[in-house]
Amino acid sequence: MSTKLNCFVVADPSKCIGCKACEVACAVVHCDSEVTTVGTMEIPIIPRLYLVQTAEVTMPIQCRHCEDAPCANVCPVGAITQEDNAIIVKEESCVGCKTCLMACPFGAIDLVPRYKEGELMAQIGLKAQTDDELSEKAQLIANKCDLCSDRGKGPACVEVCPQKALNVINPAKEKKNRNQEAALSLLDAVKKFIS
Amino acid sequence: MSVDLGIIKIDQELCTGCRRCAEICPVNAIEGNQGEPQTINVERCVVCGQCVQKCSAYAAAFEEGITSRDVKLVERGMLTSVKEPLFAAYNVGHAKVVKDGLANPTLFKVVQSAPAVRVAIAEEFGLPLGSLTPGKMAAALHSLGFDKVYDTNFTADLTIMEEGSELIERVTKGGTLPMFTSCCPAWVKFVEQAYPELIPHLSSCKSPQQMAGVVFKTYGAKINNIEPARVFSVSIMPCTCKKFECDRPEMNDSGFKDVDVVLTTRELANLIKDAGIDFNSLPEREFDAPLGTYSGAGTIFGATGGVMEAALRTAYELITKQPIPDVDVKIARGGEGVRRTTVQVGDLELKVVIVSGLKHVVPVLEEIKAGKADFHFMEVMTCPVGCVSGGGQPKVLLETEKETAHQNRTAATYEHDAKLALRKSHENPDIKKIYDEFLGEPLGHESHHLLHTKYTARKG
Repeated sequence: MSTKLNCFVVADPSKCIGCKACEVACAVVHCDSEVTTVGTMEIPIIPRLYLVQTAEVTMPIQCRHCEDAPCANVCPVGAITQEDNAIIVKEESCVGCKTCLMACPFGAIDLVPRYKEGELMAQIGLKAQTDDELSEKAQLIANKCDLCSDRGKGPACVEVCPQKALNVINPAKEKKNRNQEAALSLLDAVKKFIS
Repeated sequence: MSVDLGIIKIDQELCTGCRRCAEICPVNAIEGNQGEPQTINVERCVVCGQCVQKCSAYAAAFEEGITSRDVKLVERGMLTSVKEPLFAAYNVGHAKVVKDGLANPTLFKVVQSAPAVRVAIAEEFGLPLGSLTPGKMAAALHSLGFDKVYDTNFTADLTIMEEGSELIERVTKGGTLPMFTSCCPAWVKFVEQAYPELIPHLSSCKSPQQMAGVVFKTYGAKINNIEPARVFSVSIMPCTCKKFECDRPEMNDSGFKDVDVVLTTRELANLIKDAGIDFNSLPEREFDAPLGTYSGAGTIFGATGGVMEAALRTAYELITKQPIPDVDVKIARGGEGVRRTTVQVGDLELKVVIVSGLKHVVPVLEEIKAGKADFHFMEVMTCPVGCVSGGGQPKVLLETEKETAHQNRTAATYEHDAKLALRKSHENPDIKKIYDEFLGEPLGHESHHLLHTKYTARKG
C-alpha cells in the first residue's frame, strides 16, 4: 500500500479576481472533443471547480482528494476510487444517487449532464413521463476535479490563472517548506538575543 | 428608455467584475468597481473588441435567476442555432440581417472578406489555429448564396495605389507629415476623440472595407448590369469596429450606404453552420473577378507591418521606377509594440514607424505634438499583432493558447503572400483595369470623390 499523500489544487483568496478563466479551462480540457475556440465549444461549459464570489471572499473551491474520501466511502456502487494519487469518479458506474454530493464537506462534487461527442446522453432505461408520453431523460452523473491526471502539463486551472492564484499543493513538500521557513524565522529571532 | 448606441456591451447579469477587460482596454473605457459588473463608456470605447476576446465570465447553462439563453441570444443579435457559450463582454450581432438579405431574391448580394478572416475562420470548424483556407472560405460564401464573392484584398491593393501616391505627394510637395494609415477604424476614432489636432496627419484614404463598399455599388453594379439600389453589400471582418465604420454617416459616396452590414469572422462561422454547410469538406473555390483578384501585398494587411510592407513594395517602384530588390520587406514584420526603421528608396531615406497595440501609440503621438517626430509614415493597428488578433476573430478559450493562435495566423498570412504569383498591388491586372475603365488615376477626381474621406473631432 502506498503511503504517499494525495496532491490537490487550492486557490489563494487574496489573489483571486473572480474571472472564471479556471472554470473555462477546466471545462475545455475535459471535453471529449478537441476544443480550441468558443465556436468549437458546442456543449455547455461544465467545470469541476466552482467560483465562490461573496462580499467576504472570492475564490474557486475544488476537490481535496481526501485520504479517506467521504465521497468514496458513501458511494453505494463503488464508482469512486483512488487512481494514482487522485480520487476519481468512474462515469459509467455512477447512478446519480447524489450521496457523494451530500457527503463532501467542500461541495466539490456536482451532478451534471453527460455529453458525448456534442450530444446530451439520455438514460438507457429510465424515461421521463410527461402528460401524454414517455420521453428521454438526461444522464446526470457525479463530476469533480480529477487533478487533470491524463494531462501532460498538469491541472489546466493552475496553468491559465492570470493571477497565479491557483497552486498544486504537494502536502509533503509544503510541510517541509513550512518547517524550513519556521526554522529560519526562529534563527533570525534568536540572533537578536545572542550578543 | 435611452437608445444604446454601443456595439460592445457587458451583460450585467454575467459580469463578475474581475476587470481583466478594463486592464487591456487601450482607452480606459470600462468603468466599475472590482467585484461588481462593469459598464462601457460608449463615447470613449473605440470598439476594438479586445475585451470581448478577454472575457471569461461565462453564462452557466443551468443558472437560475438570470435571463434565459434564448432571450440572451436574441438580445445579442445571435442566431438561435448557435451552441457556443455566452460571455459577459460581447459585440452586437448582425447574422440575422445577412441571413434575411441572402433569402431576399430581389437583392444582388455581394460580399468582401478581410485578409485576416481566411487565416482564422477554419478554427471555428475544428481545424488547427491559423489554418489558411481562402478557397474554402470563398466556397462557403458561394454556398451561402452570395451572387459575387469579391474580396477586401482587392481594395487593399487599391488602398496601396491611393495611399502610396498620397504619401509620395506629401513627401515631395510638403504635405502634412508624418502621414498615418487610416485603415484601422478604432485607431481613426481614437485620433478623432483624443488627438483631433493630429487629424490632418491621417491619410485621406478610406479603409479597404469602405473602398470596396463604394466600388461595389458603383463600378461593381455597372459591370454586373445591376441597379446600385439592389446591391446588398456585406463585409466579413476580424474586427468589431468595422461595424462602427460602416455606420459612419459619411460612408455613402456611392449614393447608398456603401457597406450595408458587417459580420465578424465568428458570426460568419455561425451563419455557415446555421445553413448546414460542412465547411471542412467544401471543395476550394476562387474569388470572383475582377473585384476579388488580389496580390500578396493586399493579403498581408492582416498582420502588423503588412500595410507598410505592401506600401513599400509599390512606393519603391513608383519613386525609383525600379522593382524593390527584395519583395519581402522583413524589417516591417514583428509583434506588439513600436517598431522604427528606415528604408532606402532611391535617394529618399524613408523613415517609418509601425505600431500595434493602440496604447503603444500614445508616446509617439506626444512626440509628434512636441515637434520631435522625424519620420514620414506611420502604420497603426489597434489590436495586439494587427487584424489577425482582432476583436471579431475566433475567441481562443485557453489563455495559454492565444499567443500560438496569433503567431500561427500571422505565419499563415505571410505564407499565403509568399505562395501567390501576384505580390505587388500595382501589378494586379484588375487594379489596372479599374483605373483604366473607371477611376482614371490615383488621387484623380473619381478617386477623390469615392475613395477618400474626411474625419471629424468627436467627444470621447
